[in-house]
Amino acid sequence: MISVISALAKREWIRFFRQPHRVVGSVAQPILFWIFLGSGFSSSFRAPGMETVSYLEYFYPGVLLMVVLFSGIFSTITIIEDRSKGLLQGVLVAPVSRFAIVLGKVVGSMGIGLAQVLLMLVAIPFLGLSLDWTGWLLLLLGLVLSALGFTALGFVMAWNMESTAGFHAIMSVFLLPLWMLSGALFPMGHLPAWLNSVMFFNPVSHALQLIRLPFYHPGGQLVAMTAYQVALMVALLWAGVCLALALWKVSRMETGVAGP
Amino acid sequence: MIKIDGVSHYYKQPKGAVRQALNNVCLEVPEKTLFALTGPNGGGKSTLFRILSGLLKPGSGTVRLGGLNINTHPLEVRRLLGVVFQYPALDSQLTVMENFQIHASLYHLDKSVLDRAMAEDLAWADLKERLNERAGTLSGGLQRRVELVKALLHRPRLLLMDEPTTGLDPGARKAFWETIFNFRNRLGLTVLTTTHLFDEAEQADRVAILHRGTLLADGTPDALVQRLGNEMIVIHARDEKVARELEHRLAADKHVTVRRRGGEVRVEGATQEIVDDLLRQRQGLFQDIAIKRPTLQDVFIDMTTQAPEETA
Repeated sequence: MISVISALAKREWIRFFRQPHRVVGSVAQPILFWIFLGSGFSSSFRAPGMETVSYLEYFYPGVLLMVVLFSGIFSTITIIEDRSKGLLQGVLVAPVSRFAIVLGKVVGSMGIGLAQVLLMLVAIPFLGLSLDWTGWLLLLLGLVLSALGFTALGFVMAWNMESTAGFHAIMSVFLLPLWMLSGALFPMGHLPAWLNSVMFFNPVSHALQLIRLPFYHPGGQLVAMTAYQVALMVALLWAGVCLALALWKVSRMETGVAGP
Repeated sequence: MIKIDGVSHYYKQPKGAVRQALNNVCLEVPEKTLFALTGPNGGGKSTLFRILSGLLKPGSGTVRLGGLNINTHPLEVRRLLGVVFQYPALDSQLTVMENFQIHASLYHLDKSVLDRAMAEDLAWADLKERLNERAGTLSGGLQRRVELVKALLHRPRLLLMDEPTTGLDPGARKAFWETIFNFRNRLGLTVLTTTHLFDEAEQADRVAILHRGTLLADGTPDALVQRLGNEMIVIHARDEKVARELEHRLAADKHVTVRRRGGEVRVEGATQEIVDDLLRQRQGLFQDIAIKRPTLQDVFIDMTTQAPEETA
């Protein structure tokens, strides 16, 4: 099973790095987004209780999340291409477990997003942020869990899609608002009650907590915090549900009926 | 090797309707046979191919491959199969070698087994120099050969191919089939291929004709052709009205079978006298007249002209 997962994941990586325009776009877009938006809002941003935090710093965890979400999910678009080219059928007729197929695709796609995030982590000291080793561990856990859950969601959405244009449209309508209402752009707490409720039930908000909190709390203290524990539980549950849905989709064989 | 027993399949349609794809198909393919499944587009070939390759669960009936029920032993059956799809299942961004390596991982092949299989196969398929080229840069014919080698790397007992020469020029088709015969003889393979090209089907050991989901015939190409006798007359009438008139007149002779499709009239079991008579009396009414040995295509036309109408 491991060799199947690694072979399918490796394929995603090779494909990614053999398309230079994709590499440049994936790396440059979030950095530009962060620098332009972060710098633009820096002078006007004063979040209650976070007066000393610049918008560039506030926005940073949101950009990290954006990279793992969007890169992971949009990498699963290759499922649609694979089906139209017949590659997917070639994998489905092989004697491999369906879970290995799901994991191979998800691990490969989320790996692309995580590699981009690792590049962006270079900015940490320049923002005046610091992490101890437990903080690093919890930050990586948050990134991996978020990438896993939302890449599996991309897999589920892509599985029955006929066109890549449709996938882009659905994801833009669905994913972008989820990310915007996660606290990535503005903090929770001092908003209308309905918006706070939406943000609380948004799984992306909890993923953001997993990424933001390690920057401001030591690892030992963090694992005892209720907010962190809730976020961790939600992220685990979300990843489990999305992976289970993906497995269900792949295992479901097309069937007809015996007669009229 | 393949035993299909009473397989029927209907596709669900909107508003509770169904569309028949296969109707009580029963078929056996002995080991080491090259079997061609032929018929018109929409006849049920692709549905049966998808059932055999394990991508589609039949509505009813059973399918056994190598003695194993395809529904109850899917993993074991998949190990027996090599599959070549109608559309290339190669990753165009990857090299030929990388495509092979992924296939080897999917079929749990050790590196030594992969290397040995490649060493044996690449020369046969004339691909040795292409290993490090990206699959997308190869010609259509070479891509099909790469697919063939890939499908056989794990040494399956049964090779399934769905219209494998679609889109190839005649030279590439010929080279592809030569490679198939080489592999089949060397590896002792059973091969089932779907095709709507009758010259390809005629190369098979056995042929089945599938039309509107019903199996119309199954036998060796010679045996199927023999159904139409040794010779037949094909007349292309000046127009359809004349063809109808000819059909009516010729059908009066109880010793011959007459079939008409548009302006073409086919006469089976005809004698030289009939031809002479036609040439003498009806000259000017037809564009051409030919006496020919029947082919598989004639068998197909013969059978599908009298096939039952679609039921769903």
